[in-house]
Amino acid sequence: MSGGPPKGLPSTGPHSLLDMPHPLAGSSSEEAVGGDSTPSPDLLMARSFGDKDLILPNGGTPAGTSSPASSSSLLNRLQLDDDIDGETRDLFVTVDDPKKHVCTMETYITYRITTKSTRVEFDLPEYSVRRRYQDFDWLRNKLEESQPTHLIPPLPEKFVVKGVVDRFSEEFVETRRKALDKFLKRITDHPVLSFNEHFNVFLTAKDLNAYKKQGMALLTRVGESVKHVTGGYKLRSRPLEFAAVGDYLDTFALKLGTIDRIAQRIIKEEIEYLVELREYGPVYSTWSALEGELTEPLEGVSACIGNCSTALEELTDDMTEDFLPVLREYILYSDSMKSVLKKRDQVQAEYEAKLEAVALRKEDRPKVPADVERCQDRMECFNADLKADMERWQNNKRQDFRQLLMGMADKNIQYYEKCLMAWESIIPLLQEKQEAK
Amino acid sequence: MEQAPRDPERQLQPAPLEPLGHPDAGLQAAMTENNFWLKKIEINVSEAEKRTGRNAMNMQETYTAYLIETRSVEHTDGQSVLTDSLWRRYSEFELLRNYLLVYYPHIVVPPLPEKRAEFVWHKLSADNMDPDFVERRRIGLENFLLRVASHPILCRDKIFYLFLTQEGNWKETVNETGFQLKADSRLKALNATFRVKNPDKRFTELKHYSDELQSVISHLLRVRARVADRLYGVYKVHGNYGRVFSEWSAIEKEMGDGLQSAGHHMDVYASSIDDILEDEEHYADQLKEYLFYAEALRAVCRKHELMQYDLEMAAQDLASKKQQCEELATGTVRTFSLKGMTTKLFGQETPEQREARIKVLEEQISEGEQQLKSKNLEGREFVKNAWADIERFKEQKNHDLKEALISYAVMQISMCKKGIQVWTNAKECFSKM
Repeated sequence: MSGGPPKGLPSTGPHSLLDMPHPLAGSSSEEAVGGDSTPSPDLLMARSFGDKDLILPNGGTPAGTSSPASSSSLLNRLQLDDDIDGETRDLFVTVDDPKKHVCTMETYITYRITTKSTRVEFDLPEYSVRRRYQDFDWLRNKLEESQPTHLIPPLPEKFVVKGVVDRFSEEFVETRRKALDKFLKRITDHPVLSFNEHFNVFLTAKDLNAYKKQGMALLTRVGESVKHVTGGYKLRSRPLEFAAVGDYLDTFALKLGTIDRIAQRIIKEEIEYLVELREYGPVYSTWSALEGELTEPLEGVSACIGNCSTALEELTDDMTEDFLPVLREYILYSDSMKSVLKKRDQVQAEYEAKLEAVALRKEDRPKVPADVERCQDRMECFNADLKADMERWQNNKRQDFRQLLMGMADKNIQYYEKCLMAWESIIPLLQEKQEAK
Repeated sequence: MEQAPRDPERQLQPAPLEPLGHPDAGLQAAMTENNFWLKKIEINVSEAEKRTGRNAMNMQETYTAYLIETRSVEHTDGQSVLTDSLWRRYSEFELLRNYLLVYYPHIVVPPLPEKRAEFVWHKLSADNMDPDFVERRRIGLENFLLRVASHPILCRDKIFYLFLTQEGNWKETVNETGFQLKADSRLKALNATFRVKNPDKRFTELKHYSDELQSVISHLLRVRARVADRLYGVYKVHGNYGRVFSEWSAIEKEMGDGLQSAGHHMDVYASSIDDILEDEEHYADQLKEYLFYAEALRAVCRKHELMQYDLEMAAQDLASKKQQCEELATGTVRTFSLKGMTTKLFGQETPEQREARIKVLEEQISEGEQQLKSKNLEGREFVKNAWADIERFKEQKNHDLKEALISYAVMQISMCKKGIQVWTNAKECFSKM
């Protein structure tokens, strides 16, 4: 149990944690293995087990072992943040091989999840399981429940308007597969979420449904305690960094929305352009049938326009499948970031309210009551976790957008290169002098 | 004037004039084997000016006048001397062309640029007073004059010469030729069919070809205008990226610069379409010229058709007169005639009356035979000359259209290269994000 009066709001999460005296101070690797599975409702208690979160028993009791506080382990975070090039990465997850299943009650798609890991939490070095969308949805809900102070990556949209989109078309399935792959990779990259019990089971269990049923009864009490922070507490003042992020996210989401609309509009215009091109090319063919000496040149132009049309179609398909979904995903991502920020506000508000209540009481206690301390810790841990996640999110965002926009530029370059090649190749044909007939 | 004295009363002696004018004219020196003329002539329609005046009904009107400058070029040193300079309006060009159509029915007469803007894509104005339209018309009129000047036969025409040299009184001079009277009003009825018993197969095929050509080029121009419209839309919407990237860069730290500069390239991309489509209009104009040329080709076929029809009618008339004559002479009535009927009803005519009639008929027959002979000759001359010009036209058409297609391909290549450049620049900016 940590003693002393509650500290002020930590300005930088990880550093202040390092500074805080820890009763069981020691390096993470020395910590108890396989550990104490008795969940502690007390955040402080859980924190005292330090970096225990690194070692998750495989298939152990799902409840409580992954606690928010323990997630703020600096060592772990630093380790994983540094290996962007994957040199020291020890967990690899891929989503591929979509397959359609036709059953009496329903038809659905499953995806193969391949996991390769040297982590101790995994009994085997490699796993291959099949999961469907609702399994991903379940996983995300579980993560939100069990890691409420963390930002959970978004999933592609659950519902599709039947009749408008073909749920089983190759394009739709492929787009979804990519998004699901991205989802799991983001979790894999996260120093805390990747060690989550539910995540582990998702990757490894043969029968996920059985596990799901089992898990329903037990709820993360820590999670619950945070979840049960109801509204109604007014926030005094939001720490600058969170206020700034809130504002940033508002504008960011707006700009993304605008970009989404522009991109859609461009695709629409390009498709209409394509429709006209498809009528334009053949007219040259019709004309060439009337002519003698001009037959080949006109036919050549017709074929050329046909090639450009094909290239344009490829461009619009690519943009629809690769660009728009990723953009939308980020809008969802910033939405979930905002709701986590709101939760954080609530935690802070609750703490402040309780603190105020205590101050108003004429009691002369030297110590702050335990529940207020708990609130404070909750808030501080939340702040720390969130701050870390925000930084990670900003970095990833930068990488992701860099890649996305470079990809968009690339696709356009390829389109023009294809057209250029087509037109350059018919110049010699057009310049050819026909032999006297 | 410095060159050999020219008598405006005579037909011009010189050989075809090599066009040295505007590069947009897209003409090659034609008929070089006949080029014995030492001094080349340059024709420019160099300016267009808005004017107001009073029309035939004394109402005020606004029109555009075009300045035509003719220069003779010294062969040895290439220096040009301005010989003539005058202003003409579109209606005077029309008058010139209508005159040429009547006096040279066997020639595929070069067409004028369109009277009203057609096949426009939305950004292009359909207004005749619009400066872009006026500019394109100026080029088209110059092209027309160069076409006429480089035609081996048309270039020698006196009225054409006067068009370039005599500003005042030219209209009266043209009208004095009485060409309007000579014009066959039947030609105006474009779709009226004249049942020709022995049509010339070549002309029938040619007429069919000109119809098809008109149809396909019209279609092509219509779709091209729609394509231009759509392409314009695609490029312009990209301009919105410029603004939003700029706004977004304001809230970013490391990403800001890259976004901002990429946005600039998107603006460049969006604005590049204006020049691209303006260039494409020249291609459309080249196609339009041949759309109208197809009409001129059809006109030649039509005139031949009419000629043939007249010939057949004349031959038919002659044959029936001959028959009548024979019947009168022999007394047998094989053909129905009103005279025959009345004779039956009211009694036989006197031998003197019959003799008189036979004499009239014989005169008519003799006249008719002369006419038929000359018509036949005329017809054969027409076919020979027309076919010569048609062959010339075919070569010109094949050459010009090939050139047009090449220049179109070059335009497309340039557009693709610009696109690659812009997106490569944008990609580099994104990479710095």
